[in-house]
This record gives sequence, structure tokens and C-alpha cells, in this order.
Amino acid sequence: MTWALNNLELVLQLTLTHLLVSLVPLLIGFVVSVVLARITSERFAPSVTGALGALYAIPSLALFVTLPVLIGTDFTGPTNVIIALTLYVISAMFFSARDAFASLPKPTIEFAQAQGLSAFQRFIHVELPLAIPGLIAGARVAAASTISMASIGAVVGVRNLGYLFLDGFQRKIAEEVLTGLFAIFLIAIVLDLALWLLGKSLTPWQRRLNA
Amino acid sequence: MLEIPDFLGWLMDPENWQGRYGVPNLLAEHLTLTAMSIVLAALMAIPLGISIGHFRRGTAFVVLLGSVSRAIPTMGLLFALVMLLGVQLREVAVILALTAIAFPPLLAGAYAGVSAIERHIPDSAKAQGLTTWQLLWIVEIPLALPAIIGGFRVAWIQVVSTIVLAPLVGLGGLGFGIIQGLALRNFDQVVASALLIVLLTVLGDQLIGFAQKNQAFRLGNLSGGKTK
Repeated sequence: MTWALNNLELVLQLTLTHLLVSLVPLLIGFVVSVVLARITSERFAPSVTGALGALYAIPSLALFVTLPVLIGTDFTGPTNVIIALTLYVISAMFFSARDAFASLPKPTIEFAQAQGLSAFQRFIHVELPLAIPGLIAGARVAAASTISMASIGAVVGVRNLGYLFLDGFQRKIAEEVLTGLFAIFLIAIVLDLALWLLGKSLTPWQRRLNA
Repeated sequence: MLEIPDFLGWLMDPENWQGRYGVPNLLAEHLTLTAMSIVLAALMAIPLGISIGHFRRGTAFVVLLGSVSRAIPTMGLLFALVMLLGVQLREVAVILALTAIAFPPLLAGAYAGVSAIERHIPDSAKAQGLTTWQLLWIVEIPLALPAIIGGFRVAWIQVVSTIVLAPLVGLGGLGFGIIQGLALRNFDQVVASALLIVLLTVLGDQLIGFAQKNQAFRLGNLSGGKTK
């Protein structure tokens, strides 16, 4: 505890960077995977799932340092990390997002169609709200692993909470390493709770159904 | 503008294929550490997962472990264990960390596989006079096998993604080329090593996935076990 309190400013600053390099990929990845899941036809779904599955298997550090060759970015710095984490979020969420849309009640969709809603209106006003529980469940899984994985970005020079692992190990300060471990764990838990609450507040009708 | 690193040249250079930090040696270390931790975790997690699924007790534990473990950064776990056990014991610490990382998915796979079996199947097996052991070996484990293999698939991905960090705590493995290359700004070495890691990981993932599909197919269940 003493170490964390004595270095509070550093910890807070690293936390801020950590949040930035995790939340940006989560937001972009969420939107992309929802759209991708919705527009991918039955025919292409297996190949998209296969490609994303293989991508998901790639160790993050290996992806961080392969991206520069593919897209011409610098080897160190946050750009690769943000892009790589976005790709992981998409590959983690695509499957659950497809599931969320596939398990929507058919009659409701047909009813919306019969009411004369266009495909876009149907998506925004009917499908998306109904899919929220499934989408939030997927986002919670993706959020926890993104927060955890972002720390590996420290190896390629992103000064986030993962820096505490590298620095603490080199300077033999166990407390510093444990501070990083605890801080990341805490962020992941808080974000998980926030997403759970968000899901609850976006689906008020579920509370009424349960009551 | 962009200078593509000459990673093929690095891969062709016989110099990089011999000695302590040559590719074959690093690959062997990589695979040994991975295999040891996954086997160690499986020996504990699979019997536990099967019995939780069989007796349907302790389900909350599996769910809790699954969500808690996801929030723990694997990199931090690795570093913390090496520091707590001391650098002398870093090999033990790394294997312990990787075992802890492989444990939750293996447990979840075994548990999910057994608990997803419809109730009437073990019931009718019991009515046929099977003992509990026979029920496990003849009915429940074969039916749960695709999901159990699915647990190995997730464990493989998680363990390999962490083991590439082992060079940071003084061990080898294929991540060595990335870590050393970044420090020396030798990007040919970085990209060549990353490529080898990607190849190995995706190959392993596809092989386990193939075994899983094969097993599911044998059971006449084309959908396969859901793992992710």
C-alpha cells in the first residue's frame, strides 16, 4: 500500500492511459462487430467466424509487432496496440453478437415488418434494443480481456499500468508489480459492473417483466 | 516510406537456427513450458469439472472463477509470481502462472460438457444397471469430450499468449526474439519471431479445433461444443 500511495500520481496517470487504450478499442470494436454480425449473410458467416477465430488465437505481443509491417506504423507506441485490441474485440464479440441477433423472437420481427418499418428502422427500434442483453454479455467478456491484454502494450512502449510490471520487476519492487495487478483487476471489475448497469438501464421492460 | 524488415533473410540465416537462443532450442522450450502447464492444469481441472458437472454442485464456483480469472491480467500474474518465488525459482513460477491461466478454461469446458448432457441420458444409463464409474467412462465423458477439447483450445490460446512474455522474466521461448529484437531495435528478428509464433499458435488452434469437430461429428452432433 505504501508504494501505491507514495506514487499515486504515477499510478493515476498510468491508469488514464490504460483506460484510453482499452476503451477506444472497446467502443470501436463493439460498433464494428454489431454491424458486421448484422450484415454478414448466412453464406459468409462460417468463413468470417473462422478468420476471426484464427485472429483471436494470435498472441497479442506477436500481433502488436506484426501490424507495423502490414500497415506501416511505428513498432513502438499506442497505434498498433489500439488497432490490435480493436481486432481482438471484434473477434471476441462477433460470435456472441450473431447469437444475440439470431435468438430474437421471430414474431416480433415479422410484426415490425408488417407495421411497415424499413429494414433500418427495424434494426434501430426493434432488433437492437431486444439484442441488448446478449450484446452486453459479449461486451463484458471482451472488456475484461481487453483491459487485461492492454497491459502487454507496455512491452512495446505504451506507458499504461503494464509499465508497473516491467519497472517493478527491474527495480525489484514487488509492491509495484502487485499495485499494477490490483489496479488492472479493479478497473476490469468496475467496467464490468458499469456494463451490467448499462444493460439494465437500457432494457427497462425486462424489470417490468420480472416484477 | 515504409521499410519492410528483411525477416525472411533473418529466417534463412543459419546463424539464427543454432545455439542456446537458436530457433529450435527456443521452440523446444516454448513447447515444453506450454505442455507442462496445460497438462498440470488439466490433471486438476478436468476431474474437478467433470465431478461438478456430474453432481451439479459447485456450479457457482465455476462461474465465479471464470469471471474473476478474466479480470486478472496474465502478464501481472506472471511477473508477481516470479517476484514472490524469487528469480532463482523463475521456472517454477512461470509454470505455476501458466497452470493457473490454463485452469479456468479447462474447468469450464469439462463442467459445461458434462452438465449439458440431458438428464434422461444418465438416468436411463443408471436404469440399465451402470455403476457411477461406468456411467462416467461410458456415457458422460465421451459425450462431454468435444467441450473438454474446447477447453484445451482456449487454454492453449491463453497460455501461448502469456508465454511469449517469459523472456521478460529471464526465460526463453519463441518470445525471446521479439523481446531481444525490440531492445536491440532489430526489427527483422522481431517480425521473424512474431511470424513463427503466429504460425505455431494458429496451427495448434486449428489442430485442436479439428480434433474437437471430429469428436463432435463422431457423436453425431455437427454443431460441436461451444467454447467461446
